[in-house]
Amino acid sequence: MLHHGCTVARQRALVFGILSAALAAAAVVSVAVGAVPVSPRALLQLAALKLGIAGLGTPDARDLTILLQLRLPRAVAAVLVGSSLAVCGAVMQGLFRNPMASPEILGLSAGGSLGAVAAITAGVSAASALALPAFTITGALVSALCIYLLSSSRGTTSLLYIVIAGMAISSLFNGLTSALLLFSREYQVSQFIFWTMGGLDGRGWPHILASAPILVPGIVVLSLFSRELNLFTVGEEQARSLGMDVETTKRLLLGISAVLTGVAIAVSGPIGFVGLMVPHLVRFLVGPDHRVLLPASALGGALFLVLCDLVGRILIPPLEIRVGIITAILGSPYLLLLIVRIQRRTPVGAR
Amino acid sequence: MSEPVLAAHDLGWTIGEARILDGVSLAAQPGELIGIIGPNGAGKTTLLRLLAGLLLPTSGRVLLRGRSVHEMDHRERARWISFMSQDTSQVYPFTVMEILLMGRYPHLGRFQNETAEDRERARRMLSYVGLPALGERTFSALSGGERQLVLFARTLVQETDVLLLDEPSSSLDIHHEDRIFSMAQELAREGRAVMASVHNLTVAAQYCSRLVLLEKGRVARDGRPAKVLESALLDRVYATRTVVSPSLATGSPTVVVVPRGSDGGGVRVHLVGGAGSAVNLTRELYRLGCSLSGGIAHERDSDERLWKSLGIPCRSMGAFSRITDDEVQAASSLVEEAELTVLCCFPVGAGNLGNLKLALRARRLAVLTPGPEDVPRSFFSDEARALFDRVREKGRLVSADSIVRELEGRRGARRG
Repeated sequence: MLHHGCTVARQRALVFGILSAALAAAAVVSVAVGAVPVSPRALLQLAALKLGIAGLGTPDARDLTILLQLRLPRAVAAVLVGSSLAVCGAVMQGLFRNPMASPEILGLSAGGSLGAVAAITAGVSAASALALPAFTITGALVSALCIYLLSSSRGTTSLLYIVIAGMAISSLFNGLTSALLLFSREYQVSQFIFWTMGGLDGRGWPHILASAPILVPGIVVLSLFSRELNLFTVGEEQARSLGMDVETTKRLLLGISAVLTGVAIAVSGPIGFVGLMVPHLVRFLVGPDHRVLLPASALGGALFLVLCDLVGRILIPPLEIRVGIITAILGSPYLLLLIVRIQRRTPVGAR
Repeated sequence: MSEPVLAAHDLGWTIGEARILDGVSLAAQPGELIGIIGPNGAGKTTLLRLLAGLLLPTSGRVLLRGRSVHEMDHRERARWISFMSQDTSQVYPFTVMEILLMGRYPHLGRFQNETAEDRERARRMLSYVGLPALGERTFSALSGGERQLVLFARTLVQETDVLLLDEPSSSLDIHHEDRIFSMAQELAREGRAVMASVHNLTVAAQYCSRLVLLEKGRVARDGRPAKVLESALLDRVYATRTVVSPSLATGSPTVVVVPRGSDGGGVRVHLVGGAGSAVNLTRELYRLGCSLSGGIAHERDSDERLWKSLGIPCRSMGAFSRITDDEVQAASSLVEEAELTVLCCFPVGAGNLGNLKLALRARRLAVLTPGPEDVPRSFFSDEARALFDRVREKGRLVSADSIVRELEGRRGARRG
């Protein structure tokens, strides 16, 4: 048994090692590849410059601008958004003991989008970099409140109940969004539609600076509640009998998830299926214990989004396929597969 | 009596208009294994949830060593009281060990991990419930019974003075049911207070030191099993016909439901038996809903015990004593009332000669032919044989089966 415990620990360490290495590699490739190729030499020169190693020469000024002002912040944004959405997905799947839960499925993204269109039509999004996040956070929080009230009104909920409730909330907010768009100017409509596709192009350091101070601590705080999330999976009644303050914890975790989703959406637009798919795939690799699952999901989500963004940029250059489209194309079949498996009652993510 | 570890005072719980629990008071001492019994919907699970502090009572309070359970910090409460739920579902592939270690949650701080000692405790409890090899198996892949045992082990990993078990043996076979209740007894003997809701009354009586019978959210009776398990009370609470008799093997009360036809009441039958000769026919006719009487039997005879336990009016007298003419006279009213009197198949000696005299008073008499399981009818004296010949002349010789068929036919005819 002790031996078994060791192999599990070793397997987890291996998974973390591979995920980190893959993320680093993907980030480097993502920074190097694009409409204008940047030579590996320029990358090395930049790294040396930043690390204070002399002798490699200075990179070309044009390369430097592309790297520092375009590609690097874009990769960092992919890492931040991907890990936030994946961690929120893992949290919601644990919280509702439901493998189909995610910020998107439960309507948090739709709430955030409503916030965004409100900000865009009101014209405040142009006025301040912080206005859009403030509105998306508010929208996501309102959705979270709806989902909380719906999930608390019934004792034990079937797997589909909360998913259908999420669909209803999404429809409501999408309807409100369309209604708002009716009153908008044409350029605002196209601005919003472009935004809803979800993309990372043009994300610069201001976006990072405005979002990272919320996203990074948010992920850390959520991780501190890993043991509580484990308890949620055995059911709220048992969690309570094991000594957890279920309602407070649920409110707190849902609230933080809504804030993170809102901020992530403000950076990238709504990007679907990251929160659904990544925790699943990671659960296959490291098991369901949230103490391992959350950090692994953060790594996995970052890797996934960096890769999707990369694929979108290199598939049909010079055109870019926005990252939200890539994740949707990958994610929809996955959701179908998941529903089929749940219908067959196979334990989800069984090792 | 020592101070109760857990006490409920005038506990009530209402949902909407429905009063699920109403004025329930009870106290659990250390060392007690208390069985909560009652029909479906009587409020057993709700009571356990309230006692565990999982539900807020609409009225009354629950005190743990004098402190209100509902005002305690969640973790602190969970260090005192554990609760085993009926829900063993799990969507994610946690191992049994991971499920067990969740029991340490109330003992650990946010930045503390489970210690080697905690793991050792979990392993020990898993062995204790008889599943030592299952630690690394996936919990959701286990059988329902194994999952229940694991959850029971988790309440032990939680290390509490009070254990509340909600139908802990609902998916267990009889072997594991015995295991789980024997363990509960042992835990109680070690000074814990254990309360379990139980459906099977015989099991409840065998293991519990005390039973609390709930009826529509109120305590109908609270006390030793023998005091609570009274047929008349159970008949009312469960709305059925029960028979309570001490188990031959354990001596504790056993409760069985005896199905009884309600529409055959019209046929009045008297059984003249003895030495167990009337047992099978009594059961058959009781099932058909006949209105029976019996006698004259000797006390402690198996016929007499069955009649008494089914509440059948009967005459009986001291074991091995001779049936006197006065006794026959006293019993004759039962026989004369009966539409049909059946003389069962028993050896006739000096002691029970009176039963043949009694049979002669019948309005209609059936004399049973010996069935394959009966003791052949024999006579210890010429007087007995002569008397039996007179009885034979008066009655007709029939088998028990044909009597049952005949009465069944009459019942069918009436129903049609």
